[in-house]
Amino acid sequence: MARGLTREQVGVTEEMIATFGDIVFRMSHNYQERTGDPVRKLDWAEIERQKEDMGLTDQQIADKLGLTRNQVLFIRTIEERRRFRTGHHARLLELGGGKRFRAERMTPALDHFRYSESALALRAALRFDPERAREYVRRGWWRDDTLPKWLARHAAERPEAPALIHAGRAISWKELAEKVARLAGALHRAGVAAGDVVAAQLPNVPEFVVAYLAVCRLGAVLSTMHMPYRAAEIENLLAHNKAVAAIVPSEGKEFRPAEAVLALRARLPQLKAVIAHGAKIEGAFVLGEMIDQSPPLDDDAVTPPVAADPFLLLYTSGTTAAPKAVPHNYHTLLANARLGAPEHGITAGDRVLSAAPFTHLFGLYSVHVAMAVGAAMVLLPAFTPADLAATIARDKPTALWTAPAHFAALRAQDLVAKHDFSSLKMMIMSGSACPPDLVHWTAAQLANCAVTQLWGMTETQGALYTRPGDSIEIAANSAGRPSPGTEVRIVDAEGRPCPPGEEGELQVRGCLLFPGFVNNAAANEASFTADGWYRTGDLATADAAGNVAITGRSKDVINRGGVKFNPRDVEDLLDAHPQILQSAIVPMPDRVLGERACAFVTLRPGAAAPTLDELCAYLLGKSIAKLKLPERLVVVAEMPLTPTRKIIKGKLRLPG
Amino acid sequence: MKRSRDIDPIAAKAAILDYCRRKGALAAGVADLAAIERIAPPGHRPKDLMPRVKSVIALGVGGQTQGAWTVPAKALGYFGSTETRAYKIAYGCAFFIEQKFGFRSVYCPPDMDPDGGPRVPLQSLKLHAELAGIGARSLAGDILLHPEYGYMYFASVFTELELPPDQPMADNPCPAPSCVAMYRSIGQTPCMKFCPVQCLTGEVGEDGKQKVMRYDMAACSEMSQQYETVPTRIVEAIRAETEAEREDALFDPDNKMLWYKVSAGSGGWFAQCFECMRACPIATKAPLADPLLRGQAQRAAAEKK
Repeated sequence: MARGLTREQVGVTEEMIATFGDIVFRMSHNYQERTGDPVRKLDWAEIERQKEDMGLTDQQIADKLGLTRNQVLFIRTIEERRRFRTGHHARLLELGGGKRFRAERMTPALDHFRYSESALALRAALRFDPERAREYVRRGWWRDDTLPKWLARHAAERPEAPALIHAGRAISWKELAEKVARLAGALHRAGVAAGDVVAAQLPNVPEFVVAYLAVCRLGAVLSTMHMPYRAAEIENLLAHNKAVAAIVPSEGKEFRPAEAVLALRARLPQLKAVIAHGAKIEGAFVLGEMIDQSPPLDDDAVTPPVAADPFLLLYTSGTTAAPKAVPHNYHTLLANARLGAPEHGITAGDRVLSAAPFTHLFGLYSVHVAMAVGAAMVLLPAFTPADLAATIARDKPTALWTAPAHFAALRAQDLVAKHDFSSLKMMIMSGSACPPDLVHWTAAQLANCAVTQLWGMTETQGALYTRPGDSIEIAANSAGRPSPGTEVRIVDAEGRPCPPGEEGELQVRGCLLFPGFVNNAAANEASFTADGWYRTGDLATADAAGNVAITGRSKDVINRGGVKFNPRDVEDLLDAHPQILQSAIVPMPDRVLGERACAFVTLRPGAAAPTLDELCAYLLGKSIAKLKLPERLVVVAEMPLTPTRKIIKGKLRLPG
Repeated sequence: MKRSRDIDPIAAKAAILDYCRRKGALAAGVADLAAIERIAPPGHRPKDLMPRVKSVIALGVGGQTQGAWTVPAKALGYFGSTETRAYKIAYGCAFFIEQKFGFRSVYCPPDMDPDGGPRVPLQSLKLHAELAGIGARSLAGDILLHPEYGYMYFASVFTELELPPDQPMADNPCPAPSCVAMYRSIGQTPCMKFCPVQCLTGEVGEDGKQKVMRYDMAACSEMSQQYETVPTRIVEAIRAETEAEREDALFDPDNKMLWYKVSAGSGGWFAQCFECMRACPIATKAPLADPLLRGQAQRAAAEKK
C-alpha cells in the first residue's frame, strides 16, 4: 500500500484506521477552506494561519497526530478508498448544456428509480420468442404505441372532440388528458410507481377510463377485478397481483368494497392506498377528488412507459390457489387494436359503446380500438337491457361491443323495436357462443348495422372476427377469420392439423398473444406447444375459406352470460360443508345466459340433503360472489370417478 | 552547457515570456520563488524537485471556447486535452532557455505525487500561476480565473536562470457582479448552485469580495477523477454474489468506458467535470474566451516577433 509496504511493515491496524481514519481524511486536502484572498495579497500572517484549513500533507498530518508519514499515507489512502463512491461520473451523462444558469435535474445513481421486486417479477414474465418478436417488429405490427402516447396524440390533434360520452355529457380529449394528468399526479404521490400493479373494480364510468390511463401514464399496471367479486375473491387477487393500490366503489350491491379492502390491509402489506369511487370512506382516498383537485403530474417526474412495458394484468377464470394471471404489454394488445380498427371499420368519427364491462378484456378492446383511431367512447356503467337501449337511443353510438346474452335480453324484452338503434353501423358480438338465430334476428332488426362475431380470450384480445362485409351466414355461423398478425390452427389430439370441417382444438399464435401466465409454470407448460402455439382449450372447425366456428369447450369454466368463472373455489367450500361429501359444479345450458352453474353433490353418511337456498346462504357467508352461486342442486348417490379419484364431470348428467 | 554571460535579466524575461506567447500562451509570468518555497508544503516546493532552481515561469493557455460551454457535459468531458498544449509550450520554453541562455531548465511535470496518490500534485501549478500574476483564486474550488483570459490551463518551467518575479494580480475578478447579485438573492454563486455534487460552498462579503471558499475535494473527485473507480469496480466484480452483478461491475456502459479510457490512455472522464466553469461568467464571457479574439491576440503576439 504505502510504496509497496505492507500493513505489518508500516505498523497499521484496523483499530488505528478506525481511530484516525476520519481525522486524517479531513485534515488532508479532501476538505479545503480559504478565508479571504491571502496568497494573492501575500498576507503572510493569514497564509500561515490558514495552512491547516487548506489541507495538510501527509508529513504535516503525521507530525500533528504522532504517526509516521507512511502510517498517515496508509490510513489516508485506505480511508479515501473506502469512502469513494463509484458511478458519480455517470451524472455527467445526465447533464445538458447550452443554457447557463438553468436548473439541472440531477439524480444520484443510488436515488434513481428502481422497480420493486414484484414489478421485476411481472416484467420477467414478459418473455417472448425472439424470432417472432423480430418478425412482429419487422412487419410493423409491434410499434412504439402506448396508451399515454395515443391520449397525448388525440389531445393535441382533436382537443375538443369528444373522448368520452356519459349520460349525455361529453368529455373532450383535452379534458380527458387533464383529468388523467391530475390522477396520475395523485397516484404518484400516493406511492404508485412504474411497474406497480393497481387493482380496479369499477363499472364502465369515466373514472374507469381516467384511472386506466393514469395508471398507464405512471408506467404502472392495471389489474381489473370483476364487479361481482366480493372480499374473498378480491383478497385472493390482491394477494396474487401484489397491488399497491386498489380502486373500488364506496358502495356495492349488498357489499361495501372500499371498507372491505381497507379491512384486508393488515393481510396485504404491499397495499399502500385504497381509493374509493363514490362517497368518502375513512382511511381511503376519494377518486373524484384525486381526479378533480390534484395538481397534475409533472411531465418530468415519471418517465412515460414504452411499448414493451407491461400495462395490463388480467385473470382468467380462476381466483383461487393457482390463479392464471395474464400479463400484457402494449405491443400485444395495442397492435391488435390498431390493426383491428380498420378491419371493424372504426374511424375517428365513430362512437364506440361497450355493453361488456371494462373489467373484461372484451370491454377493454373497445377502449383500445377507440383510442387507436381517436373515436369517442360511449359509456354504459352497468348493463341492464333498458339502460343499454336507452343509451343507444340517447348517445347514438355507431359501434357496439356486446355479448349474445345482452341482445338476447333486449330481444326478450322487445326493446330494440321500442328504441332508436339507427345510429349503429357495426356491432361485435362476443363473450360466449352466439346462437345463429340471434345473429339473424339482430341483423334483421338493424338493417344498416353490420352484425359481426368475435372470438377472443384474455390471453389474446381479438383473435378471430367476422368483418362488416361478410355475409350474414358467415357472421351467424362462425367467429370469422384471424385478425391481422394472428395465426390460428385447428389440430387433433395428436397435434396434427385438421382438414376443413373437422373438429379439433383451436390454437393461436401471433403478435397479439400474451407471453405466458405469471408464476405458473405448470399452466404455461400445459398451455403452449413447443413451437409457441397457445392451446385455447376451445374446440372449433374451419371452413375452406378459413372462417372458424367455435363448437365447444374442453375446459371446465362456466360461462354465465359471458362472465367466465372457475367453480373450483365454490366446490372447495361445498366440500367443506358438514352435510356434503363431495361436490362438482358443471355448466347447464341456459337460453339467455348460455350457461348457469349446477352443483352435483354427494352426502356425508347419514346427513340430510341441504336445499339450494341453504347452500347459497352458506356460500354467501363465505364471501363468494353471487354470480358464482350454483343455480341448481342435484344430489347424487356417487360421483363418476377416475382411477385416481378425480370426478369425471363429463359424465354428470342433469336429471330430467 | 555553456552559460551566456552578461545576461540582462529583464531582457531575458521579456524574451522568454514572448516565446511563450508566440507559441500560444495567452498569459505568462514569473513567480516569486521565495514565496512559493514559503507557501508550498515540504516535498512540494520547487527546490524539492530542482535544487538549484532560481526562477519559476508560469504560463497559461486558453481553456474552453465559448462554443464548448454549449455542449452537453458528457461531450465537454472530452475537451480536456487543452492542457497538453500548455505542457508543450513549457517543454519548448525549457529548451529555449537552455539553448538561448545556457541555463538548465525543466518543464515542471504536471503529474501527481507518486507518494501521495492521484489527488496530490507533485507541484502546485496553480500556486505558481497565482504568484506569477496570471490568475486569481475563485470561489470554484480555487480554480484560477483571469478577467481577460477567463479560465486557463497552466504549466510551469523551472530554470536556474534568475529572472525578476512578477506580482500577483492586483484584483480578483471572482466573484463577478452577476455572481454577487445571485449570491445576494439565493445565497449561492452559480458555481456553487450548479455543482452536480455540491462540493462548493462559501460566502461573499459585504464588499462583494470573496469571504470564505469551501471546497469538498473528496466529493469533487468522485465526480471528476475516476482513478479510484477502476480498482473499485474490479473489487466489486470479484466480490459479486451473482454472475449478473459481476457482469454489471465490469461491463455496464459506464464501467466499460473506464476500460476504454484505460486502454486508450485518454483523459475525458478521468479528470474533468467543468460544470462550475460552465456556469462561471468569467470563464465563459471573458474577452479572450472568444476563440476569434483569442486567435487575434495570438496572431498579434506572433507578429510582434
